[in-house]
Amino acid sequence: MTLTNKTCAIIITATCIALGSIRAPAADGDDSTTNGRDLYVSHQCWQCHGYEGQGGAAARIASIAYPFDAFALFVRYPNQMPAYPPNLLSDEKLRLIYEYVRSIPEPPPLDAIPELEAGRD
Amino acid sequence: MKTSGKGTGLNRREFLSSATAAGVAAVSVTQAGDASARDAVAEIAVMPTEAQLAMEHDDPSGYSAEQIDDYFVENPGSDFMVDVIRSLDIDYITTNPGSSFRGIHESIVNYGGNQNPELLTCTHEEQAVAMAHGYAKVAGKPIAVLAHGTVGFQHAAMAVYNAWCDRAPLILLGGNHYDAVERRPGVEWAHSALDAASVLRDYVKWDDTPQSLQHFAESMMRAYRIATTPPMGPVVVMLDGHLQEAGIEHTMPSIPAMTPTQPPVGDPSAIAEAARWLVAAESPVIVADWMARDQDGIDRLVELAEVLQAPVVNLRGRLNFPNTHYLSQSRAQVAKADLILGLELNDTWGVVNTIRDRVHRIEQRVARQDARVISIGVNDQFIKSNFQNFQRYYAADLSIAGDAQTTLPSLTEAVRRAMSRARSRTNADRKMRWQESHAKRRADALDAARYAWNASPVSTARLYMELWQQVKDRDWAMVSEDRQQSSWARRLWSLEKQYQYIGGAGGAGIGYGAPAAVGAALAHRAEGRLAINVQRDGDMMYVPGAFWTAAHHRIPLLTVTHNNRGYHQEFMHLQRMASRRRRGMDGSAWVGNALRDPEPNLARIASGMGCWSDGPISEPADLAPAIRRALDVVDNGEPAFVDVVCQPR
Repeated sequence: MTLTNKTCAIIITATCIALGSIRAPAADGDDSTTNGRDLYVSHQCWQCHGYEGQGGAAARIASIAYPFDAFALFVRYPNQMPAYPPNLLSDEKLRLIYEYVRSIPEPPPLDAIPELEAGRD
Repeated sequence: MKTSGKGTGLNRREFLSSATAAGVAAVSVTQAGDASARDAVAEIAVMPTEAQLAMEHDDPSGYSAEQIDDYFVENPGSDFMVDVIRSLDIDYITTNPGSSFRGIHESIVNYGGNQNPELLTCTHEEQAVAMAHGYAKVAGKPIAVLAHGTVGFQHAAMAVYNAWCDRAPLILLGGNHYDAVERRPGVEWAHSALDAASVLRDYVKWDDTPQSLQHFAESMMRAYRIATTPPMGPVVVMLDGHLQEAGIEHTMPSIPAMTPTQPPVGDPSAIAEAARWLVAAESPVIVADWMARDQDGIDRLVELAEVLQAPVVNLRGRLNFPNTHYLSQSRAQVAKADLILGLELNDTWGVVNTIRDRVHRIEQRVARQDARVISIGVNDQFIKSNFQNFQRYYAADLSIAGDAQTTLPSLTEAVRRAMSRARSRTNADRKMRWQESHAKRRADALDAARYAWNASPVSTARLYMELWQQVKDRDWAMVSEDRQQSSWARRLWSLEKQYQYIGGAGGAGIGYGAPAAVGAALAHRAEGRLAINVQRDGDMMYVPGAFWTAAHHRIPLLTVTHNNRGYHQEFMHLQRMASRRRRGMDGSAWVGNALRDPEPNLARIASGMGCWSDGPISEPADLAPAIRRALDVVDNGEPAFVDVVCQPR
């Protein structure tokens, strides 16, 4: 299956609307998130997205309310990043990674970080 | 030229022939210590001055004429070479010592007093060249590098290529022994080449092999002028061992004047045409790369951009535009523009198009189909065939040969003349739009910096913002590039002065970072500025001796590492290959890429080189105090090093 960028965007948008976009962080120490973090590390997701999904060489994925189907679409049929087919990363493992990414806590607000708050001027 | 040894008007051979004319007997009498006989000789022959005697030997009377001729040399050629170098206002020569240039080495130290030029001891030729590279970008003028023409040039080659790609002027002086029958067996043969400069010829602007001192003097003038005429770049002048070491026997060579070449300016009629296009454009964008050589370049571009109310996209070659100015905008503006003005772009094709890293490398136009392109620059003035850093051919709609910084005032004036009142009235709206866009970009960057703020390893955003808090009120300058740290300096620091950001290696050759930072810091030292180096760990492992040079020569430099424990770019490449082949990299991406097992202790490496150091630091809360301690050291004129284990990018 090949998808153009535009098609991807349409599918993702439609999926988001259909599934909603509520972010529900998983509890600390939850097995699924622990396993998800291990997979996130071993499959090298952190190389481009950072250990906490903050982004770097690639886009931030933390605190973005993708439903799983949209997340999977990005991973299977990406625009820039390497594609991860099911034989490399099963749906089950992908879901665990997804759970981990969703569990990453929100960062502190800007006004709680003096080094950044000062930069608002 | 110093005059010691020349007061009598006799050179060494003339003195010796006078002494010989006085008779062998006189010499033997002198050896016997007969004062009256010595006086008699003095009446016949012109005796050397005290200075000459000091240069030859404390007690030259203990030697026969033949012995003196065999042991000693007066007025060596390399003294004159030092005079030539000094006339060019070359402050420093970086070097790793070598026998093929021992003559000039001694002349610099004893004859020149190791001042103007001063020798800077390096531990590798790659370091010596990269230091000169960093220095030139800050000081705006070249220094020289002394190296073996054979083993030295081969070590130096990567750094020379970086300087070539980065348009940095520097002068390589290469020692070599040209006369085969004069070479001692063994190393002097191994350290000689028929055409020593050939290993660098593909990526230097010019090279020469002088056959006489007069030839050397003229070649140095030419070399300096070629190196400093845009597009600037490295040049090579060879130093024959015999020419350095032998005395000057005949007429003293002269030092010609060095007249700099004024940079070329674009053709006036083409400039007028470019101005008309710019004024007529609905959404022009200015893209600048290796444009600003100094603050004038930035000021001139600000003036043009404001007259047009056109956004400026600053690529990575140099700081061409203040990132705090509301017209400083992202590269995304290229896709929206109906006219692109490229200033000193090395890769116009790559601004207008792209190729994604996929199995099939299909090119895609980034710019609008109807967008026109004006190019102003000197890139076409000097390119070579072999190494392909000149990038893909692009047929600009209007291509103007001329140095962009020098051409900007006439372009701005032409734009003013072409600007109608109706067009001027649109500027207020444009200004408001760009101010809003700029403010949003900054807000987005601040928001992005929050993520992983408290993470361990330390986030690159936090690394930069902790640094910023402690340097922002000082006269600071970055001497490293931030591209591999998510460009946080360019996103969140205030880069307003040209010297505050000097771009990167040019040729993307790793090993540039540490030595170029030390060279740049040396140039900043003269201005009393705080030099800041965000050092990548992989780069540091190439020539860590640069930190020894910084310690040895008391070059103040604040280094904070972005230590991600590996060659991170290659992790991503390996991952891409494995995914493309449906093999995956589950747990194996470390192979060939990681710097662990054992992890290099960068702080201990730095302290082993004589630098104050701290770290490794992984907890973000420990970072600010470490930076404070390091700044205290730097304020005392020494280099300081803080190793920070960071997130990958």
